Amino acid sequence: MGSISLTIDGQQVEVEEGATVLQAARKADIVIPTICDHKDLNPYGACRMCIVEIAGVRGFPTSCTTPAVPGMQVTTQSPRLTELRNRTLELMFSGHPNSCLVCIHREACEQYRPKVTKAARSTRCGFCANRDECDLRAMALSAGKNELSLPTLYASYNLERDDPFMDRDYNLCVLCGKCWRICEKIHGKPAISIINRGKWARIGTAFDKSHVFSGCTFCGACIDICPTGTLTDRFARWQGKPETDTPSACILCSEGCSVVAQSKGGQLLAYTMTGFNKEAGLCALGRFGAAQIVASNQRLIRPLVREGEDFIPFDWQGATASAAEGLKDCGGSVALVISASTSREDRFLYAQLARQLQGRMLLLPAEAGSDDPQVQTLAAAVQGGTVRAVIANGNLLPVEMITKIPFTLVIDCLHSPASNCASVVLPAAVLSESGGTFRTASGAIKQLAISSQAPGDALPEWRIVCDLAQALGLAGFGYESVETVTPLVADDPAPAPVSGDPRQNVRDLVPRFRGHLLADVVPALAAFGLPKTPAETSEETAGEGFPILEKREIAPNMHFFKVKAEKVAKFSLPGQFVILMARETSERSPFTLVDWDAAEGTISLVIEEVGRSSRELASLKAGDMIAHVSGPLGLPLTIENKGTVLLGGGCYGIGAIFPLARALSQAGNRVICAIEASSAYLLYMQKELATVCDQLIIATKDGSEGVRGGIQEVLAQVAAQEPVDQFIAIGCTFMMRMVTEISRSLNIPTLVALNPIMVDGTGMCGACRVSVGDKTRFACIDGPIFDGHGVDWDELASRRSAYAREEVQALSQSVDLNALMHQPHAHSHGGGCGCGR
Amino acid sequence: MSFAARQQQAEAAWQTFEQPDRLRILVGSATCGRAAGSLEVMQAFAGELAKQGLTEATDVVEVGCLGMCYAEVMVEIRGRDGKRVLYQGVEPRHAAALIEAQLVRGEAYLPLALAMMTGADEAVPTFADLPMIKPQVRIVLRNCGVIDPTNIDHYLARGGYQGMTRAFAMGPDQVIEEMKASGLRGRGGAGFPTGVKWGFARNSVADQKYVICNADEGDPGAFMDRSVLEGDPHAVLEGLLIAGYAIGASVGYVYCRAEYPLAIERLQTAIAQMRELGFLGADILGSGFGFEIKIKKGAGAFVCGEETSLMQSIEGKRGMPLSKPPFPAVSGLFGKPTNINNVETLAAVSAIMEKGAAWYAGYGTEKSRGTKTFALAGKITRTGLIEVPMGISLRTIINEIGGGVLDGKQFKAVQTGGPSGGCIPAQFIDLAVDYERLAEVGSIMGSGGMIVIDEESCMVDMARYFLSFTENESCGKCVPCRMGTQHLLRMLTTITEGRGTLEQLEIMRKIGDAMKNASLCGLGQTAANPVLTTLQYFEDEYRAHIVDKKCPAGACRALIRFDIDPARCTGCGACLRACPVAAISGEKKQPHTIDQELCIQCGSCRQACKFTAVLVA
Repeated sequence: MGSISLTIDGQQVEVEEGATVLQAARKADIVIPTICDHKDLNPYGACRMCIVEIAGVRGFPTSCTTPAVPGMQVTTQSPRLTELRNRTLELMFSGHPNSCLVCIHREACEQYRPKVTKAARSTRCGFCANRDECDLRAMALSAGKNELSLPTLYASYNLERDDPFMDRDYNLCVLCGKCWRICEKIHGKPAISIINRGKWARIGTAFDKSHVFSGCTFCGACIDICPTGTLTDRFARWQGKPETDTPSACILCSEGCSVVAQSKGGQLLAYTMTGFNKEAGLCALGRFGAAQIVASNQRLIRPLVREGEDFIPFDWQGATASAAEGLKDCGGSVALVISASTSREDRFLYAQLARQLQGRMLLLPAEAGSDDPQVQTLAAAVQGGTVRAVIANGNLLPVEMITKIPFTLVIDCLHSPASNCASVVLPAAVLSESGGTFRTASGAIKQLAISSQAPGDALPEWRIVCDLAQALGLAGFGYESVETVTPLVADDPAPAPVSGDPRQNVRDLVPRFRGHLLADVVPALAAFGLPKTPAETSEETAGEGFPILEKREIAPNMHFFKVKAEKVAKFSLPGQFVILMARETSERSPFTLVDWDAAEGTISLVIEEVGRSSRELASLKAGDMIAHVSGPLGLPLTIENKGTVLLGGGCYGIGAIFPLARALSQAGNRVICAIEASSAYLLYMQKELATVCDQLIIATKDGSEGVRGGIQEVLAQVAAQEPVDQFIAIGCTFMMRMVTEISRSLNIPTLVALNPIMVDGTGMCGACRVSVGDKTRFACIDGPIFDGHGVDWDELASRRSAYAREEVQALSQSVDLNALMHQPHAHSHGGGCGCGR
Repeated sequence: MSFAARQQQAEAAWQTFEQPDRLRILVGSATCGRAAGSLEVMQAFAGELAKQGLTEATDVVEVGCLGMCYAEVMVEIRGRDGKRVLYQGVEPRHAAALIEAQLVRGEAYLPLALAMMTGADEAVPTFADLPMIKPQVRIVLRNCGVIDPTNIDHYLARGGYQGMTRAFAMGPDQVIEEMKASGLRGRGGAGFPTGVKWGFARNSVADQKYVICNADEGDPGAFMDRSVLEGDPHAVLEGLLIAGYAIGASVGYVYCRAEYPLAIERLQTAIAQMRELGFLGADILGSGFGFEIKIKKGAGAFVCGEETSLMQSIEGKRGMPLSKPPFPAVSGLFGKPTNINNVETLAAVSAIMEKGAAWYAGYGTEKSRGTKTFALAGKITRTGLIEVPMGISLRTIINEIGGGVLDGKQFKAVQTGGPSGGCIPAQFIDLAVDYERLAEVGSIMGSGGMIVIDEESCMVDMARYFLSFTENESCGKCVPCRMGTQHLLRMLTTITEGRGTLEQLEIMRKIGDAMKNASLCGLGQTAANPVLTTLQYFEDEYRAHIVDKKCPAGACRALIRFDIDPARCTGCGACLRACPVAAISGEKKQPHTIDQELCIQCGSCRQACKFTAVLVA
């Protein structure tokens, strides 16, 4: 193809024939804003941001879809284009939660907000997993747009999480179409497309089927290409923006697919595709499973040496010595059982070890488990006494066989039945934690790169084997790095290919990695029909607990609960809280009492879904039981006539100020309730509050209802009009901190209800300690209500965020939250859709 | 059999049909007639004929629609004297009287007689002199209501397929020249010159080309395409074939919405007949031109009337518009050069090719040649489907053809072009209707919807209605249309509920501007028109809703109240019985009153009152 020449903004540009105006502009480093354009996708023309003016062409064509023509005169910047682009941007943002742009407290909030709030739906900036990576926000910021003259039209879709790995929040979707277009490009027939029309148009599967049954292969391309926080990897969602991208390969099966390992702070977040094309496709295990395997809480993190019935944690030197001791007298009767899912270097060294110990080495196929025929043969040798020691790098030996082997060494990454009855267990680095090379089933050799840190004391296998060999006094194991081993490996056979095509069908995923059932490590995989070890009898006692009489989502992520708890209801007072445990094994978490009825024996709560424990609670429905309700706890608010009391509530605090307002009104105060939310659609309980106060003032950060701003602005306004004798604020730490600064300058006595991490709620553990007026107080028994002007906010913020990383990990760890959250799709039914339901 | 011989045979069949001394009953049975009960009427006639022993002597035939919706069910009866009388408002109970009068006694049945189709009668006007018919020129609708649409002989005898043979004789390039000379412009709404469009597609070089008939008529209130397909399918198919011949396409698609089952049935019948007569298949009539026609049923999405969406839909994809370029003439259906015309255009094509470009160009104005059909509806005395020469004044259409505003109310505006169009206020009543003049006043020709608005219709409410349609029908692909329609609808709703602000008027103009200039396809580019034109001409009405909290037309429920004028109320109780919420009370023969607490402003009382005693304010 020849090249053509055109003029863009007065600049002469040469491009290949067939290029679009947008591509030509990019070539000349002229920036035209766009959301729906992507270099790996065909032009689409949906976002309408890339409009330009072309001499002789009517209207404002989109540069992404207009082919460059010789001699074309293009203008990319003009007042009219800016005007139209800004309006389009404003329209786009009006269909997407936008406090990350328009909130007047955004900068202060970003400075003080200690951690992300791991909510279900992303309704505001602190609740958005994608804020740092959002193309939409970046585009708006670069356009200098932080005012919105249009109301926010929040679609209010449920968060979709009925598949093992993805959270889909279509309330954030701007329908750029990248997800379904990349799906179509990679898979031919896309699993997703735009469904419905007009305001209900959104991305979905045919007939709203679960992704598990939609033909989706879980390659994750849609997540990786999504410019907003709509499509997210449930595991990586709250971990933040990846810091490093490392090309490597996945060794979960013999395919050895090339990947880009995304990691942050030494932790693997995901294996992603090396490019947006069919050839780079990954299976669900590689894309989503690998990071969860690496982060599993079943990882082996310390060397263990058996002493009778017990395992004793050892340091490496001691453990290696113990292993050498166990193997020492077994020369000639040692067997090594090694999985094919092992790097070439590690296999080479295992083979060297076997040779020098005059033992045998069995190389098991990647998918094999302890029932592999080779292992069966070995069992006979054990029975016959010709094998007296076995080394295995996985859950590759049946327990009944291990009990008959005098000495078993397990070098592995995960706990398993095999490691549980071994003589010595050495923790190994795995996947992204270990280097070397890997030969794939097709014979190719792929480089493995280290992109995350192994947990605890775990070491790469090549290092473990070398140390062990040296402890055994064997020569030729003095390698300094895995790279020095690589050149020695030759003629290693290619492993057998996997059966089926796991990249095209989730039913073909391999069930095991080094003998571990993957669904045991990543429980969500069971959704694809992967086998898992049957669970032992549940520790939960069914049918006991506190019945939920009523449960509704009254605003996005805000759940109203009415629970039967007679004794709690009988003694409750305004300002007190309860501690709940959704299930027997749940964490204890405190929630302020919103209402109670002693006669009826019920309490009411508003629970905001912000993390693991509240998510467990939110997954319950009317008729279910809450395992434990402890309370009432904390000191109640002293109710007296102060004159004029202003109550400020945000988030869960909107509900929490209700009983205070009621009691203070009854005590003869003039009560003004002020409630704040990012946008009008997040407000709730307005009617109820209006009945218990003299005046209800609403503030929204986007100005969609009431005062534009938050409690800060309302406080200043009210104080300017009338004297405020008492101010009480309940809400997020950031809001309480900000308002106390204002009330201090206005000399208004201020109380705040603090919300530190709390465990027992009875003054025993001290986890909830806070500093108020230079004194250490326990929020659970001295509070939760304190003098706001004495609070050490920095300390509170730092203590609240002490477990931020663990909290994020807890969201996906071990418990199948996916199954917990499973809600069949709400799907209006006239029958016209043809789904057959 | 040669075409000429076949034509002779058809002529003979037509003569039999038109034989003056044979008894004949034609029943207008397009979907509109059927909805009004034409099939029941036909049954009643059959029963009555049997009773009278006239079954054998009488032809009872379903025909298409004459366009006089207000007069359905329409029946034309030819008696022994050869006189053909058109009757209106026929119900099954009239069958006996009609047969008795005209077929037995040989007299027109005066209570229902509307016009004499042939012959004269002192008491009944001649059809051509009817005020509704007189200004009309029926080219596209030439055969509707006149022939049996399932009989290809009727079509042939009336000049059908002569356009095709003439085209074959001319050669494709000359056909395109003929189209250009006729001045025909696309009747789907945009008005692009048909001949020029064909020229583009002809000039594209490809192994395969397509022609498509766009029968996805989607404007609320527009039904001209359905009427033509049901009443004269061959006129459209012949036009499609000629288009295919002109551009060099061997396959034609008719994209017709599945909501038009009768039209699809008539098309299927007509296509089978074409094939039987050798008008489809390889080497048609020895011309060397081969052609096939396929029907694709659409699911009824409004956006699928947009050509690129329509082609996506034929391909089995979601109906969503694509950016142009590439234009369909270069890369259309399945990536091949494609020409799309709508039903009305193609029906005009067959007539032009039969009678010549000069004949057609003799009608209309300089830049808008020929005729245009309109679906005349709203607050008008005679609703119906009409075809008029371009350049006719709105006044003629409304006052003569339409018989003026319903119930003698004040004429306020006329809405043309459906959800994509605009409102033309009463001041432009003498506007000559053609593409240019309509555009000058901010509206569009569109596909031909024409809704007459009287003083009791609220312009804000009407804009809200159209936006509720486009909000729902926006495909959702591009931002300005998807979000803009939502915001406009919300703001219009708040205004009709008395919760609007003056600031919203400015915001709506800005949103409208963005939609018009930045939307991807015609749907979004025009969706704001109902708002923009009403804002242009009726801003006072908007302000009254916002500032005074009043709906001047008395239509917006949240802003009106009904009261009974005690001076006029006779206490007849009609309103009391009509009220669905029992808000009206009063003694017999005493003035009644409305309990404002209970009243839901439905207006039933006002409709029920015979003494105009129910006042709205």
